[in-house]
Amino acid sequence: MKHAVRAGVALLACAVLLSVGSSSARAQADDTATNAAPATPFSDSEIFGPPSDRLKLESVTTRITAFDQSGYGYQSQAGPLLGPGSERTTILEPITEIVATQGERLTHRVVIPVDIVTAASADALDKYRKKPDVLSHASRYNEAGAIDWTATYKTTATTDVSIRSAVHLEEPLRSWNGSLSATQTIADGDATLSESLLEVFDWFDHFDILGFRHGRTQRSTTTGSFGITQILTETTAVAVNYGLSVQKGELGNTWNSVPLANGKRGAEQLPTERVRHAAVARVSQFLPWNGALHVYYRLYHDDWGITAHSVEGELMQRIAPFLYVSGLYRFHHQTGAEFFTTLAPTAAQYRTADSDLAPLDADTIGGRVVVDVPLDARTKSLHFEAGYERYFRSNDLQVNVLTWETGYHF
Amino acid sequence: MKTALALLIALSGLPACATVSQNRRARFADPMMSIGPRPLDAARHQKLYDAREGASGGDGTTAGGGCGCQ
Repeated sequence: MKHAVRAGVALLACAVLLSVGSSSARAQADDTATNAAPATPFSDSEIFGPPSDRLKLESVTTRITAFDQSGYGYQSQAGPLLGPGSERTTILEPITEIVATQGERLTHRVVIPVDIVTAASADALDKYRKKPDVLSHASRYNEAGAIDWTATYKTTATTDVSIRSAVHLEEPLRSWNGSLSATQTIADGDATLSESLLEVFDWFDHFDILGFRHGRTQRSTTTGSFGITQILTETTAVAVNYGLSVQKGELGNTWNSVPLANGKRGAEQLPTERVRHAAVARVSQFLPWNGALHVYYRLYHDDWGITAHSVEGELMQRIAPFLYVSGLYRFHHQTGAEFFTTLAPTAAQYRTADSDLAPLDADTIGGRVVVDVPLDARTKSLHFEAGYERYFRSNDLQVNVLTWETGYHF
Repeated sequence: MKTALALLIALSGLPACATVSQNRRARFADPMMSIGPRPLDAARHQKLYDAREGASGGDGTTAGGGCGCQ
């Protein structure tokens, strides 16, 4: 019995000693760890400044794009009576984008594009002419501008809600559009779900093909879309999107003309409703030689009988840490609207000779050079971009697009 | 279109397929790897294509809205 008691006391003493020893070792290890721990990492406020509800400018970007178009279409009267007329137009579009944050959750993005158009739209307010020149050219000069404001609020760490409102002013046209959209990241940021609802109202002057004004007309467009963006691997991301648009009202520009079988020209006659479906898939792939490949496919179908496939590839190559170049090719094929014609029966219910609604193939080739010059170790940088694209269609339309962009990130 | 919708529904299961931890997503910080076009690029392409192709819109862009020169 005594041996048993001694053994028990010895075991208890060993246990106590072991316990004290291990506690001491842990404490020493903790002390060592504490002493060896690096300095506390910088907090967000130390890097980006203390949080504030004041507006903070993040970036200002300006871009000037010139579109130079030539070609012929049967809707234009700038040619033989029953033949295709000129679609010549030049558009200069300066555009400014301002991004600002307000506090930690709210981001504003304001875009102000201005279009200076020659020979494109009916120039309703041209004081030097009694009526718009829709006979030989759509118009001589036209100016258009817009303000587009998007406010994005981060409701949670993974959810953003955006409200967008835009007003477009053009001499014969006023347009308003508003949208509500949301994005949510899931799977630890690997996937992003997005949904949006967009409404567009257009009010514009109604001109006949002789150039006489007949009051105003309107149309509306409602679009809903949803999509998923997914990071598949360390170097691959994909995105898919589906959208549905319903348009109602006057769906033409009102002054397009159609050659008629009786040897004259008549007005374009279009349905007052159109339902459009579009599905888009994108892949972004990093390439081992410090490049990237973007592939885009879009499938489109509407109830006017147009089905279209568009495929685009853009290959990018980084030349230096601050410089990359890219080359782009796009192919587009579409069937024509059921009522497209270049010589319509006079009794046809619907008719159009608009070359944009014809069966066609279109190619785009282009390239750009992008330079981002860092100005400090944080986010301050200068951005330059120069680009050129040539768009050419199988039914005689060519467009040259030149772009120059500068930006400053604060 | 039905094929596209079926494909879309199938792809909607993608979020369950793969996970790439945040510290292995460095490639996506490069502006070249942006999956969608920048807003100004999107606006330029919209202006180029939407005014010249009857098959524009339907995917969240302002089909039919805006410029009357369409």
